[in-house]
Amino acid sequence: MPSITFENVSKSFRDTQVITSFDAQIEDGEFVVLLGPSGCGKSTLLRMIAGLTDITSGTMRFDGEVVNEWEVAERRLAFVFQSYALYPHMTVRANIAFPLVMAAFKRWYHVPVVNSIARRTLMRSPEISERTARIATALELDQLLDRRPVQLSGGQRQRVALARALVRDPAIYLLDEPLSNLDAKLRTQMRAQITGLHREVGRTFVYVTHDQVEAMTMATRIIVMDHGAIQQIGTPDEIYRSPANTFVARFVGAPPMNLLPIGDEASGVRRADLATHVPGLALPDGDDLLLGIRPEKLRFHDDASGPLSATVVAVERLGSETLVGFHLDTAEDRPRTLAPETPHYAKVPADQPVTVGESCSLSFAAADVVWFDRETTRRLDPALV
Amino acid sequence: MASSTEVIVSEDVAAPSTGAPAAARGSRRGRSRLKLASRYVVVLVMMGLAGFPVYWMLNTALATNAELYAGTQSWWPHFEDLGSLFHQLGRVPLWRWLGNSAFIAMGTTVLSLVLGSLAGYALSRFRFRGKGPIGFLLFITQVLPEALILVPLYALFISLGLLNNLWGLVLADAGFSLPVATFILKTAMDRIPHEIEESAQLDGCPRISALTMIILPIIAPSIAAAAVLSFFAGWNEYLYANTFLSDQGHWPASVGLASFIGQNETPMSAIMGSALVFTIPAIVFFLLVQRKIVAGLTVGAVKG
Amino acid sequence: MSHALATGAASTRRRRIARFSAPYLFVAVPLVYMTVVVFYPAAREVWLSFTNTKLSRPNGGHFVGTDNYARIFGSDLLWTSLLTTVLYVLGVVAGCLVLGTLAALAVDRPFRGRALVRGVLAFGWAVPGVATALAWSWIFNSQTGVLNRITGALGLGTHDWLSNQELALPSVIAATVWQYTPFVMLVVLAALQSVPPEVREASHVDGADALSRFRAVTLPHILPAIRLVALLLVVWSMRLFEIIYLLTGGGPLNRTSTLVVSLELQAFENYDLGGAATYGVVGLVISLAVTVVYFVVERRSTHGV
Repeated sequence: MPSITFENVSKSFRDTQVITSFDAQIEDGEFVVLLGPSGCGKSTLLRMIAGLTDITSGTMRFDGEVVNEWEVAERRLAFVFQSYALYPHMTVRANIAFPLVMAAFKRWYHVPVVNSIARRTLMRSPEISERTARIATALELDQLLDRRPVQLSGGQRQRVALARALVRDPAIYLLDEPLSNLDAKLRTQMRAQITGLHREVGRTFVYVTHDQVEAMTMATRIIVMDHGAIQQIGTPDEIYRSPANTFVARFVGAPPMNLLPIGDEASGVRRADLATHVPGLALPDGDDLLLGIRPEKLRFHDDASGPLSATVVAVERLGSETLVGFHLDTAEDRPRTLAPETPHYAKVPADQPVTVGESCSLSFAAADVVWFDRETTRRLDPALV
Repeated sequence: MASSTEVIVSEDVAAPSTGAPAAARGSRRGRSRLKLASRYVVVLVMMGLAGFPVYWMLNTALATNAELYAGTQSWWPHFEDLGSLFHQLGRVPLWRWLGNSAFIAMGTTVLSLVLGSLAGYALSRFRFRGKGPIGFLLFITQVLPEALILVPLYALFISLGLLNNLWGLVLADAGFSLPVATFILKTAMDRIPHEIEESAQLDGCPRISALTMIILPIIAPSIAAAAVLSFFAGWNEYLYANTFLSDQGHWPASVGLASFIGQNETPMSAIMGSALVFTIPAIVFFLLVQRKIVAGLTVGAVKG
Repeated sequence: MSHALATGAASTRRRRIARFSAPYLFVAVPLVYMTVVVFYPAAREVWLSFTNTKLSRPNGGHFVGTDNYARIFGSDLLWTSLLTTVLYVLGVVAGCLVLGTLAALAVDRPFRGRALVRGVLAFGWAVPGVATALAWSWIFNSQTGVLNRITGALGLGTHDWLSNQELALPSVIAATVWQYTPFVMLVVLAALQSVPPEVREASHVDGADALSRFRAVTLPHILPAIRLVALLLVVWSMRLFEIIYLLTGGGPLNRTSTLVVSLELQAFENYDLGGAATYGVVGLVISLAVTVVYFVVERRSTHGV
């Protein structure tokens, strides 16, 4: 049962650095999600675990043993590709049985022509056909066993890919954006199925996605990546509640965490105002601060009773709740926010009457605030605040 | 050129605005009918030119010897003489020749496909030192005349004892069909996503089995194209066969048929009948896979 | 511990070697085979052109430097042969390109029976060379050939198509054009069908007529394919042997003796392997030069602009 250890792992293609000194430890039985925007190096990292891509420098270990040079097959892991990579000329049955057949192959079976005969013969062997049938039943593929991949829907192909990964009982499962080709409804369904699967087999899962909902719902731990480097490692809760930097704060959560500029005098929200209006709020030193607060932690007032006065610029009614987009009434907010085009958001109850253009104010509790240094983008350690 | 286009554009734009749209439409329809007619004439003339030699082979095969020697050959084939044609063909060792041709062709096909899929796989799936030069060498075979290689190969075959040997001829012929087969197969393999093969690797399948059990079945149509090309390269080949096979019992049909040229004993109808029997399989199979072969040849040339 | 490290290092080296050598394992057998039956003989032939090897003793020649070249370049035969080759290649390339492009344009648009028409137009390509030679030699036959019946009926007189000094080369070119036009048609057709329909429609809307539309829209699109096919035609017609040899044997008076035919005649009628190889090398140098020019031009046209 391996744990996976990365020590200063780097990858570059010619002159481009794709992964920069990656250090992490994935424990046995975890469901780790590699989360990040496209091009952040997460898929490359997954391929490096599988041995499909070479490691440029650093060390990767399975259970302490260096595996940098191990062949793909020696690593005994299962990989579910984004494109599923089913064998188009084989039936579903043959696709699922293929890893078992390969495991049963003796060396000389690989002689061309012999290999095809051996494959057909082995597929009919009781152990392999039973095992294939059992997995197919588990994933509701019984009726499809004699079809070819082209005759299947996206969701069915996805299940065949999973079945093929499961059938061999590997120690590590690697999944590369396996749900990105499915429609929204099916994705929700498959999310639950994959989580259930992880619980059932109790193996290590490493799952790559750019979708923060998938990460939050499925992971036991998340590794957030950007530009080939780790931004934060933590449980979904830690990542959500105390993001390590503004990138994580903005990347996780929809709508993302509000980052409100705090400064002196006319520039931003005045420190003095906050100190007086928010009881128990400990303000860090320094002028270049960002106050991070989740939309659902903001309380909306249609009068000026809150410490932050603002103007409503957008209203999105979702049915169960309403998203209110606003800009702070400070000199700085409009021209100098992190993303000037996007407003800040607050989640308000669905029955709250709000109209665009109205003046309002917002309040919040001191305990829900996260502070960031605007210069370094890092979160300020609450102990130092 | 730009100015001429401009003039024509302005003319055409002007036509409807003259206030007689119906007339304009009518003349346009007339013009397009004329265009269609001229297109049909072109097609018919070209078909006549392209089809005539084959038609004439058929016509001659079914003509009587008397009219052939008198130069009064009918313009239409006497299909009722089909029986006598078969009788005539019996006077020529055609079936034996065709058997030899088939043996050579099949050997050439197997050799070209086996070696071509190995080389095509290496060129498609690996990056390695020497890949460029190897691709270039394979392309160079398009430039090398068989005649250039003939003498040294003849000398080599003497020392290897491969003269008058159908196996030897297979070895010689595949030298020129292998590169084309390689390019056809490489082009087809390039279109298979890498994930499929990586998936096989992850499932514990070594490369040789990935090639033979996964890649090759997927590109079956291109293999068929490469097979047809190699088969008829062997089937049609004349120069090597004529030089290396002096024993008449080993002659393939190409050499046998060529021996009729300038010889007056065999009736022309039997010669043309034999040529036709020799030709028909090639026509049938070539027309089935023509596009794939064109793709293989041109891509090979571009990548060379 | 140290033992484990040592085996680890050894297996690492073994894996590296395996990974490095994989492509070479696949390419080795094809390459060795090609070397034995094509590249080595070709190199050997180049070597022969610097020796005085005779057919009677194919392994007994001596190095004579450039004597063969001096001798061959001093003889009229080489210059006749070169001229014949140039005329033959030009005739074949021009004929095939014009007819092939025309044929491709004619069958580009769908119409009833197009598959049949395309099939018939491709005949020349499918018919074996020897059968082609037989069919054409019968058509060209001076006494009973159908061509003379036609020209006679049209009042153009009858001719010895293959043994007349003026007509032999054009006749051989005609047969070769018949053989290779379909290839041009198929390549140009493939290029035509890859012209995006929006592009064609756009030009329709502009109201350009057929010819200017062809020149402005279609031609630039198929030009790379035509250039490529022209290269292949040059290179192939430089090495074409059997159709010429079977129709005329290089005659009359060497009027159809291209370099490749001269090579064959020099080797098997004059038993002069060294001299024969010289013809081959001259042809090869020309073919390679054309190929290099093509790739240089192609590179400039794709990287320039």
